Amino acid sequence: MEGQVASAVGQGGSRLAARRRFLPGVAIAALLAAALALPQLTANQFYVHLANLILLNSIFAVSLGLIATVGQISLGHAAFVAAGAYISALAALSFKLPPILGIVLAGLVMGLAAVLLGKILLRLRGVYFVLVTFLAGQVFTLVVLNWESVTHGANGLIGIPAISLFGFPLSTRLRFYYFALAAFVLVVTFVWALMRSQYGRAFRSIAENIRLAESSGIDVSHYQVVAFALGSGIAGAAGAAMVHYVRFLSPDSFTFHDSVAYITMLVVGGRHSMIGGVLGALFLTPLPELLRGFVGAQHIIYGAILLAVLMFIPNGLVSVGKSLLAKVTDTEGPE
Amino acid sequence: MDYSILLAQAALNGLVIGAMYMLMAVGFTLVFGIMRVVNFAHGEFYMLGAFTGFFTYVHWEMPFVVCLAIAALTSGVLGMLVERTLIQPFRSDEMSGMIATLAISVIIQNGAVMLWGPVPRAMPDIVTGTLTIGPFSFSWSRLVVIAAAALIFIAFWLFMQRTRLGRAMRAVAQDTETALIQGIRVNYIYPLAFGMSVALAALAGALMGPVFSVSPFVGLTPMLKAFVVVILGGLGSVPGAVVGGLMLGMIESFTATMFGSLVSDILQLLLVILILLVRPAGLLGQREA
Repeated sequence: MEGQVASAVGQGGSRLAARRRFLPGVAIAALLAAALALPQLTANQFYVHLANLILLNSIFAVSLGLIATVGQISLGHAAFVAAGAYISALAALSFKLPPILGIVLAGLVMGLAAVLLGKILLRLRGVYFVLVTFLAGQVFTLVVLNWESVTHGANGLIGIPAISLFGFPLSTRLRFYYFALAAFVLVVTFVWALMRSQYGRAFRSIAENIRLAESSGIDVSHYQVVAFALGSGIAGAAGAAMVHYVRFLSPDSFTFHDSVAYITMLVVGGRHSMIGGVLGALFLTPLPELLRGFVGAQHIIYGAILLAVLMFIPNGLVSVGKSLLAKVTDTEGPE
Repeated sequence: MDYSILLAQAALNGLVIGAMYMLMAVGFTLVFGIMRVVNFAHGEFYMLGAFTGFFTYVHWEMPFVVCLAIAALTSGVLGMLVERTLIQPFRSDEMSGMIATLAISVIIQNGAVMLWGPVPRAMPDIVTGTLTIGPFSFSWSRLVVIAAAALIFIAFWLFMQRTRLGRAMRAVAQDTETALIQGIRVNYIYPLAFGMSVALAALAGALMGPVFSVSPFVGLTPMLKAFVVVILGGLGSVPGAVVGGLMLGMIESFTATMFGSLVSDILQLLLVILILLVRPAGLLGQREA
């Protein structure tokens, strides 16, 4: 598309192409500066809390999107988030493991668990994979609920310590915001780099046409396991980070409904693009707060929005943004 | 002797829940076979059926057979409307269709919470008394559930085998395009099949109302079990759903009696994973082309 525009507009096109390469960098720098400055502008702790949830939900949705890039949708994603949270919380409570190491541990263990599980479950494709991840998630909730000697069952774990960096506790919402922002930038940069690598190309080819990819000599099951392990590992680590922020954990903290919420964010934002998960989280996380007036009806409206997006913008909010951007650059073209 | 009574009781309970799983799974697998849609809202129609049964039987004091008919009809019509307006747009896209049913499920469940509140309600048994054979005694209310489920399934089976419409549905399930060429109106078959499928779920809900309780959240477990059953029996296979449903009911009842319900649930999942590994298409399913 860039080539088309460039050849059509001729000389002006090269300036346009240069601007196109330059623009994303400026936009990202501006967004980052805004994200750094934003919480200083508000004294309202609730907005900071909301921003933290948006960042965490973005990570959950992006990690699910990573699994979706190999054509698989996991309906047990919240179980990986919850398992990561339990690992780090229990390690901190029982063995006084510093939370920051707990987060790393949670990521590694969940990634490894996903390798083992993925080798079995990823033999299934399409709806079969969705069904089996759904069932696995349900069993996880059951086990956590009933393994009272370790998880304290439905009572949950209380008094989970906050993250502490070099003796500096991230115990306020604002301090955690900067940690979450750093984690978010790290994850997004990692996924972005991954998708531009040989792995990313292999992932995309599998999502586009799994049989063609297979017959072109791409080791489909290997790449699917890698994507599943990375996505689940990130989810586990982010779940651990979240539990040291919320500082309470019970079997109800992350359930099937959260798995559905992550899928909703991904679909509403645009499931074929990494930014989709971020946009979805940005749009859907504050929504229940805006719908507070309609007590009880908020979930219904949530479902209705999901249906409407599926029907009228099947490629998500990202596609709306893209077509808007295309219009802007088109009108700027002939200058 | 105590032990044999315990086993007989477990077998009866297994048959009751197995019959319910069978009704749930048959409808679920029918929709998948014909429309290639995984219906995550299937459990919500079970819940609607349970509520319809509750209101017509307890509040309006209608005969239970009439209650069942009303439950099947209202859910069936609602299902046809839902299919026509909300699921048909995603016919070519399995994944979007599935996510759409997730959204429908959220809407129906929370709608029920708004209308009827989250508190579970107890529904009285339809019949009382027990049947005593030698040392064994079985409650009539359970036996009625088994008999009713068997009758409903036989009616469904005859419809599928003996009527033109049933044959048309099976033809669409086998090959949609060829069915179209033969003059079968697929656009009518889809809503009809979906309505019938969720009517079966509603019947299961109304039948199980007195056995369990009635609340907006009762649909999740039966739907979960329907998933397990169709994976056991093969997605899209009706005989597989019958065998799988009864089998799962028995396994669940016996393992729960012996080891408790948690172990039972975990064993079920392990069984499913094992079957998927050995026979990905399910016990009676056919490999997808």
